Parts: sequence; structure tokens; C-alpha cells
Amino acid sequence: MFKLTLEKEWLDAKRQGQLWWLCLIASLLLLLACTTGWQSYQSYQNDAKEVAQQEQKRWLNQGEKGPHSAAHYGIYVIKPALPFIAIDGGLQAFQGNIVRLEAHTRNDGLFRTIQDNLPIARFGSLTPAFVLQVLLPLLILLIGYPMFAAEKEQGTLKQTLASGVHPMQLFVAKCCVLFAIAFALLLPVMIYLFAISFEQGRVTTLVSRSAGLAGVYIGYVGLWSIVTVAISCLLQSTRRSLIVLLTLWAFSTLLVPKLAMNYSAAAHPLDSSQAFQSRLKREVYTEQRELALARFKQSLLQDYGVNSTNELPFDYAGARLQFGEQYADAIFDRLFGERLEQLQAQSNSYFLASLLSPMVAVQSLSMAFSASDFHHHQHFLAQAEQHRRMMQRVLNHNQRDNAHKRHGRYVANLELWQQIPKFEYHPPAFKALAHHYRVNWVGLILWLMTALLLGAIAVRKLTKEPLR
Amino acid sequence: MKRLLISTEFKHLCREKVTFIIVIFSAVLAILAFFNGHLFSETQSKVVKTALQSQQDSITTAATQLPERLSTTEPVNWWQDRYDLRAQAFYVMLNYATKPPLAQSPIAIGQADVLPYYFRMLVQEKQQVVQQYDYVHPLNLLLGQFDLSFVLIYLLPLLIIGICFNALSNEQHNGQLRLFLLQGGSASQLLTIQILLRGAIILIPFLLISNLLFVLVRPHIDPAVLLSFTTIALLYCCFWLALCAWVNSRGKSAATNAAILVTCWLSFVVVLPALINTFITHANPTPSRMQYLDSFRAHTDEAKKAAEKTLAQFFQDHPELANANGSRSDFATKKIATISAVEQAMQELDVQYHQIQQAQLDKVMWLKYLSVATLTHSMLVELSGNGLSRHTAFMSQVQMHHQALKSFFAKEIVKANQNGDFSPCKGCNARPTITDLSTLPQFDKHFSTPNVSFTPLFWLILLSMLLIYSTFKNVCTLTRPQATGRRGGHID
Repeated sequence: MFKLTLEKEWLDAKRQGQLWWLCLIASLLLLLACTTGWQSYQSYQNDAKEVAQQEQKRWLNQGEKGPHSAAHYGIYVIKPALPFIAIDGGLQAFQGNIVRLEAHTRNDGLFRTIQDNLPIARFGSLTPAFVLQVLLPLLILLIGYPMFAAEKEQGTLKQTLASGVHPMQLFVAKCCVLFAIAFALLLPVMIYLFAISFEQGRVTTLVSRSAGLAGVYIGYVGLWSIVTVAISCLLQSTRRSLIVLLTLWAFSTLLVPKLAMNYSAAAHPLDSSQAFQSRLKREVYTEQRELALARFKQSLLQDYGVNSTNELPFDYAGARLQFGEQYADAIFDRLFGERLEQLQAQSNSYFLASLLSPMVAVQSLSMAFSASDFHHHQHFLAQAEQHRRMMQRVLNHNQRDNAHKRHGRYVANLELWQQIPKFEYHPPAFKALAHHYRVNWVGLILWLMTALLLGAIAVRKLTKEPLR
Repeated sequence: MKRLLISTEFKHLCREKVTFIIVIFSAVLAILAFFNGHLFSETQSKVVKTALQSQQDSITTAATQLPERLSTTEPVNWWQDRYDLRAQAFYVMLNYATKPPLAQSPIAIGQADVLPYYFRMLVQEKQQVVQQYDYVHPLNLLLGQFDLSFVLIYLLPLLIIGICFNALSNEQHNGQLRLFLLQGGSASQLLTIQILLRGAIILIPFLLISNLLFVLVRPHIDPAVLLSFTTIALLYCCFWLALCAWVNSRGKSAATNAAILVTCWLSFVVVLPALINTFITHANPTPSRMQYLDSFRAHTDEAKKAAEKTLAQFFQDHPELANANGSRSDFATKKIATISAVEQAMQELDVQYHQIQQAQLDKVMWLKYLSVATLTHSMLVELSGNGLSRHTAFMSQVQMHHQALKSFFAKEIVKANQNGDFSPCKGCNARPTITDLSTLPQFDKHFSTPNVSFTPLFWLILLSMLLIYSTFKNVCTLTRPQATGRRGGHID
């Protein structure tokens, strides 16, 4: 009986004039989005590889110079991208993906792509994530809004139910048909996800991310399918069903995300970069620093039982530089940490909106699985900072241990530059950052449960339908 | 008849709960959007004020602490000495180039949250100066600001669709249209009154509240700007009302009308702008900033390796500085020469970026006409002073200011070097070479802002007129006796 019901529903859906052209438009948009997404990923990755190699070459071939000059010369590191950014570029264009690692300074990312774009870019780009998160639910509701409501208006629902079909079966059949249509559009994206996972070699990392990404979107499509059919069943006319569903969609995708983020930014305000930079300068280069340096010098002289730094068995300037770095690092940790706390508070506050909008939950999880969200970026910045500190340590220690042995100015060479390993960044396994996204998971699960509850209410109402 | 129609329609609307919900919603949206935009602009204004205040404070502090510096015998690091030209040029100078938001900024934040609106100027490569930006949560940039332009472009059309999609079809469905026509009423008049009244319910609270808030909260706003904003909003909504009228006049059911109108909204407001953006960025892709950085590094290395050659080239370009310099050029002059050399070498790439942006702009100029949303957005962003025109003017001024600072320091540093101010004797402090910081070139805030072009409004008017004309033609066909029977029957 269920199979018959399913066939009937499929036939009904096929007869809907708008089904084919809506699916056609959605497929074309998705195809276009995937193609451009893939192109952007390829070009980004090629540039990142090429420039990172050039930068490494430059570092190694910088010639003979003092280690501290090399520390100031520094190196630029670039955040590599996972192939998932072809599906969901997330915040990739909105944060600087290049960081300069140099002495005395902890820098923010450079060159945000969005800064080079025209104002029209704020309407958004056609990416697969945009199609899946914003347009696919709309497609589902435009196909699904008349599923029950139209039958009610035409009076055929009572006939169908009188023929012995169980209301639950009818409801599930309609949901299945709607889900199948949406899933057909999702399928190429999923094939792409798994194909790249196996092609790239890092199977375990990528497959788990692919599976997560696919699971989230399947849940999202399922959620909208159930909600659409349930609303169509609960309301008496196609008109009301369409209006309610559209209102839900507009709230979920347009209003809630924007308002939630604007609220989060206002509730947890950040200092301007101007204020932050001047605070950094103010707090690093203080009298306390001078005193700390003097104390450091005094303790060295005492420890080694000498009267002047020239008598120390190492180069004092190198030791002083390293002490200065460590002194500044402690302040960087505090100030950057405070800023990060505010930023995380903004993220967490925004994530809470997952409870109001399934799109917020799905968008956040999708970016997370694609490694293109805020937390993954912070992970990259933290790794870059660790690399910077290691670089400074190696260079300063080299000066400390060798500069006093030479007469005149000490210069280091390729041997030292080679001691600094190339910065190789790999995004962490999803598990490592999973704790940040608990609210999103809870939000998505709650939304799925709400949809199922709504479905149950709809079926209950349907059971009473022939009695009316 | 007309009055009767208006009052009947008005009563009918008042009876519906949804009308009140929509009026309240429209008012709340206007208030929220205004205050969000206002808060954003206020934050930027505060940052600009703080920056300028710190600049002023540094001038005052330098003036008051000068005697202390002149009398000191303690060793002073030149790179930390605010009275040393070299320290000012490369490290400690507090000199800001700022673009404060205009009074009308809350209309449309546009790219104002992305583009830099202040720069701390130092003598360094201009490529480094212009890459500064204000750090905000990237999610905030992805999602954009909830401002008046967002409400106007995205939400008001949805509200208009929500209230107008069943304008004539309701009467057709109930059979009231036939009765109305038999009494000598005009269907086009009915449709016009229905659409205009419903539109007014949404537009009047939005425009009244937003204009009132501007007058109360941002009193410096130019009335002409408010008039322009109101005109743009009216014409944009006029288009949507005309579209609703046209769809309704086709005689389909209310649900079909709603589906068609939502598809139109989706196309004009969501899909087409995204498609145009994708097309532009792929037709004229902005060169990779990574490659740009690579060139920058390569040119910097080259200029540093050829330091003497670079310096010679610098003096060749600035013979006025070379006269008495002889062979004794200090670190600062070499640094400025290197900066100039790198800037010159990077010029080709900068021009390339500029050309590509211009090519993208040229495409947008035409493609924006495909969607009423992009058309309206471009006008609102320019009107609010957060568009590219004002930003480009600001950036030109920043570059001129950067050039002025560089020339000032180059000249003064060479002079001080010739006087031996940087090393008056072995082991002693450098002489103060800049004692009055107010003599430093200051940023000229009065950069010109090109006027907003209202030509696209004619396109909006034309589209609306075409829709209205077609609507009247449809209504005539719809109300012909045979058509009323046939199509009315089809609807029922």
C-alpha cells in the first residue's frame, strides 16, 4: 500500500508544472556554483603553494646577515585551504589568510579578499553553500506547499483517505517524494565531496569531514521537507500554507542570522584596531619593561659572577632580545587573548541563534566541516604565532651562542636559515574543534525534533480528517 | 464611487489582523534598522575622533615636554625619540588620514564595514599603508548590517507581496468582482485602490519613522538627502506594487500569484545580484593578492640589494636633495629611497588592480539594470556616502597625503643629515630635529565626493510604467463580459 501511495504522490508531483522548471533552474545554479567554486579553490590553492615556495626560497636565499636582521626580514605564511571551500567558502574571503611573522610584533592576517570587491559583492556570491542553504529550502517549499492543502481545496484528500490509506503512510510518502526531489539536487554535491576525499590522499580526515557535511545537509533537507508537508497538512488553504512557509523561510534565512550577528557584535563590542594597536604599544614598551630588562641583566651578571655584559660567556644582546620577545609574548597572549574572548563571545552568541533558525545551525556546521570558519582560522593564526615564536627563539639563541665568538659584526648564513623548518599547516581534525559547535548540533537536532513533532501533529489531524 | 471604494477597502483592511501585524512590523523594522545603522556610524565616528584626538595630544605633549628633552643628558634611542625626524617618519608618528561617516550613513552601510576608514600614516611603502583595516568578526562581514537599505531592498517587497498577492483575486474568488462590475464599478479602479492602500500601509510607517528618526537623532542631515532617500524608496516600492498589480491582473489564483511574486522577488533580490557578482568576479578576476605580495617582497629585496643604485636613482629623481649631500647618506635617506623604489616598481601592478576594478565597475554600470535591487542598492550606498565614489576620493587623498609626508621627511632628513644633527659628536644624543609636530603635513579632510547619479531612477519609473500599462490592458481583458465568465470560472 505504501508503495502505491508513493507512486501516486510521485505522479502528483510530476504533474505539477512548476516542479520541472524549478528543479532545472536549481540544478543549473548549483552546477554554475560548483564550477565557479572549484575554479576559485584551484586558483587559491595554486597561488598559495607557489607563493609559499617563493617565500621559503627567499628566506633561504636571504644571504649573510645578522640573525636579528633576519628576524625583522621575517616570512609570510599562507593559510592553505581544504577542497571543501569549493562547496562552502565560509569566511575565507572575509579574513586575512596571509600572516607576516617577524620580530617584536604579532600581526593580524593580511589581504582580505572582500576589500577588493565591489559593493555588489554584499548581495552574496553564487556558491554551492548559498544554493543549498538558501535556495534549496525555498525550492522544497515552493514544490511542497500545495501537497496537502491543494488536495483539501479540491476535496480529494477525503477520497484518498477513505480508500484505506493510512494517514501516516500518506504523510511519509509525501515527505519522501519531496525529500527525494531535493536529495536529487544534493546528490552531485555529495559525490563531489567523497570523490575529493579519496583523491586527496588524506582519506581519514577528509572522509569524516565529507560525511559530516553530507549529514548536515541531508538533515537540513529532511527538516524542510517534513516542515513543508506538515504545514501544508495543518493549514486549510494553499494560500495560507504558502504564506506561512515563506514567512518561516524569510525569518530563518534573512532576518534571524543578520539580526543575531548584529546583536552579538553590539553585546560584545571589540576595540577598534587603532585602540588595540595603541594599547599594544602602550603595554609592551613601558617603564616596567625597562626595569625587567635591567633586572634580567643584573641577574645574569650575578649568576655568572661578572661585572659587565662583555665578560659573559655568551652574547648579551641575543639573550636580551629573547628576553624582550618573551616579555612581549606574555602581553600579546593577554591582549590578543582578551580580544579573542570577545570574538568568541560574539561567535557563541550568534550560535545561540541556531535555536531560532535552522539555517544558522547548518551554516555554522557547514563552515566548520569545510574548515573555513572563524575557529579554524584562529587555529591557523595560533599555529602561525607558535612558528613565529620558534623562529625568534632559534635566531636569538643563535646570536646569543655565537655572536661573542666573532670579532666585529656577527652574521649568520644558510645553515641557520635552514634550522627554521618550513611552516606547514594542516587544518586539525574536526574532532579537535568539535566542542565549539555543540550549540549548533543541539539546535539542528531540536529543529529536527520540532519538525517530527509538527509531523506527528499533522498526522494526528489527518487521522481525524475523514470524520469532518 | 472612488471614495466609497477607498473607505470600503480601508475598513476591510482594518478588519484583518494581518494588517496591524504588518504595520507594526514595518515600523519595528524601520526603528531597528535605523538604530543599528546609527550605532555603526557612531562607533566609526568615535574611532575617528579618538584617532584625531591622539594626534592632537601628541602635538601638545611634544610641545610641553620639549624643554625636558633639550636639557636631558641621559642617552636617548633615536628610534624612540619623538623629536627625531627619523623616529617620527618610521616609528612613532601619530598622523591619521580619516574618513568620518556622513550624517546619512545609516541609510546604507554598504562596504563601510569592510573598507578602511582611517589610516595611521608612517613613511613606509604606500602598499603597506593602504592594507590596514579595522578588525571585526568576519561573520559580521559575511552577514552584513541590518540597515535601512536591507529593510527596503529585501523585506519591504516581501511585505508588499504578503499583503498584495490576493488584491483582485480575492474578489474574483468570492464572486464579488462580477457583482461589483454589474453595479458599474471599474476593476482597474478597484485594483489601483487596493494596491495603493496596501502599499501605503507598509510604506508610510517605514518612511515616516525613518525620516523622523533621522531628523531627531542625526540633526545635521541635509533635507535634500532625506528627500532623495524617500524618492528612491517610493520608486522602488512603486515597482513592486506595479508588479503585484500586474500579476494580480493576470487572473490567476491567489496561491499562484504568491508563488509567481515570490519567484520574482527571489530572482531580482537574491539570485540575479549573486549571479551578476559571480559573473563580474569571474569575467574580470581581481589578481591574486598572494602574487601581489610575492612581487612586493621581490621588489623590496631587489631595492635593498641595490641600495647604492637605489639611492643614486633617488637623488637623480630629487636633485634638490642631492646638492650638498655628498657621499654621506644616512640610514633614513636610504630607507626613503628604497621605499620610493619599491613604490615605483609596484606601480605597474597597482595600475593593473585599478584597471581591473574599473573594468568590473564598467560591467556593474550596465548589469545592475538587470535587477531593481542592485540598482536601488547602488544609489542608496552612494547616497549614504559609503559607496566607492567617496572611498576612491578618500584613497586618492590618502595617497597624496602619504606622498606629502614622504617628501617632507625626505627633505628635512637630508637637511638634518647635512647639518650633522643625527650625530653631533661621538656617543652623544642626536639633536632634536623636529620640535613642533604641528608643522607635519596634516590630512586634508575635504576630499571631493562626486554627486550621486539618479539616472537609474528613470529605469525604475519606466519599468513601473510598463507594468502599470500592461496591468490596465490585462484588467480590460479580464473584465470583458465573456472573459469575466470564463476566467472567473477558471479561478473558482
